[in-house]
Amino acid sequence: MSAQAISGKAAIVGIGETDYLRGTDQSILQMILAASMAAIKDAGLKPSDVDGIIPPPGFVAWDEIAAHLGVPDVRYTACPQMGGASPTAALVNASMAVATGMASVVLLTIGWNGYSAIRPRPDARPNRRRFSAAFFDVVKNYYAPYGLRSAPWWYSLYLQRYVKQYDVPAQAPAAVALACRAHAQLNDKALMRGRPLTLDDYMASPYISEPLRKLDCCVETDCAAAVIVTTPERARDMPHTPVIVLGGAEGHPDRPDELINRKDVLDLGLDRAAPRAFAMAGVKPTDMDFLQIYDCFTHVVLLELEALGFAPRGGAADFVKDGNIQLGGRYPLNTHGGLMSQGHCWGMNHIVEATRQLRHEAGAAQVEGCELGLVTGYGDLGDASIAILARSTT
Amino acid sequence: MSTSPHVMIPKPDELDLDLYQAIVKQGSLCMQRCSDCGTHTHPPRYYCPACSSGQFTFAPVSGRGTVYSYTVSHMSVEPAWQALVPFVTLVVELDEGPRIVATARGLAAPAVRLGMPVRVVTEAKSDDFAIFWAEPAGT
Repeated sequence: MSAQAISGKAAIVGIGETDYLRGTDQSILQMILAASMAAIKDAGLKPSDVDGIIPPPGFVAWDEIAAHLGVPDVRYTACPQMGGASPTAALVNASMAVATGMASVVLLTIGWNGYSAIRPRPDARPNRRRFSAAFFDVVKNYYAPYGLRSAPWWYSLYLQRYVKQYDVPAQAPAAVALACRAHAQLNDKALMRGRPLTLDDYMASPYISEPLRKLDCCVETDCAAAVIVTTPERARDMPHTPVIVLGGAEGHPDRPDELINRKDVLDLGLDRAAPRAFAMAGVKPTDMDFLQIYDCFTHVVLLELEALGFAPRGGAADFVKDGNIQLGGRYPLNTHGGLMSQGHCWGMNHIVEATRQLRHEAGAAQVEGCELGLVTGYGDLGDASIAILARSTT
Repeated sequence: MSTSPHVMIPKPDELDLDLYQAIVKQGSLCMQRCSDCGTHTHPPRYYCPACSSGQFTFAPVSGRGTVYSYTVSHMSVEPAWQALVPFVTLVVELDEGPRIVATARGLAAPAVRLGMPVRVVTEAKSDDFAIFWAEPAGT
């Protein structure tokens, strides 16, 4: 059996998300349950229809979700552990589960208090929810003692090599930040709606750790999102136009738990995952009508665009210029505002937005007549996932 | 040499502890070295990535290397580092192969170039941990 055998054998039929906030009284569990219930209702289903659950790679476990929602007969669980690549990997995993008959309706969800965990309100109740990953040990023993305490500092260790090796101009990451911010102006749920951004603002943004300026980084957010996957046959009876999973893959750098000892530090998981996903889907990058690209940092988006085949290594600057990635351009990118400007929901919000686009329900951000698009995930220290999605034609 | 901003002192375990204890005992940089094929590996692993051998030692290395990448930090959440911004952190590719993170000393941000030769020296912070400094070669 090849991966092509399950191409087109799963569909996204439900989406749900909370508001994107900086400060909330809701616990992570409450937000995840709210988003999950919204997704189940969006699909026209009840919790008892769900029989597969893929929880986040931390914070909340599948059995809590089942118990609180009231899912009486769980027959499939899995948990991809790759940080921000987890949701799109979960989508591919759920697609396999329904395509092979191991489950019929799979819920995938993620959420966190990315803002409130760091800045709790004075009267906040204690929160025991924690997230962990294998690379934390590497960070603790080899990066953190050097003042490199969180993601911007770690990522700078290889992104600076990218910038210096290829003379990447500041206009390139700026184009990503500006596109996301422009698209957020069209989204009622975007944290940065009402706060437009100019190139001058970007250039005046202070460095955190070179090459990353503050405006190269995504925003700390309290939020959750969820997606329901089932078979295309079952999807026909559901309220919305199904969104078909044509292809998907995950990929990981060699030395997945560490950043700097890879033979080529710019050879990331997506370099491996993307060709597999396009082959499975039987389509080309140039067939895409939009791109929802995991945007923890702007420079990471540039590297992902190169890994996807839209530009040669070091050449993404030419691809993102002249409005090419803005709505109205050839490849609108992160039409919801992305992690940069809608909010950081680990990329589950990218799947939600891709689904809206392909349902033709994206409102002011609608890519006219779109039929094909892709979503990427990027996590931990270079793990990647990708899904290629199509509007159902049946 | 005793005052450094490296205040996050980890308590390593398993192979990381073995590596750091070897460095503290030696008083200079050591790396994991495969006993069968001689490949140096960092961070240390139970099996050699080149030949899959499970036999290894923690052996002294030259400390010579070149700048593979770097970052210049302009802010920090730690007061000890915030007092030093902008500070330079290097990724040094050792002549023996592995790459390590080290704080630049005697090397200001504008002078840093990919490929420039540096020398790594160690400073013990406990019996179980040492930090790495990188200085311009020839100093």
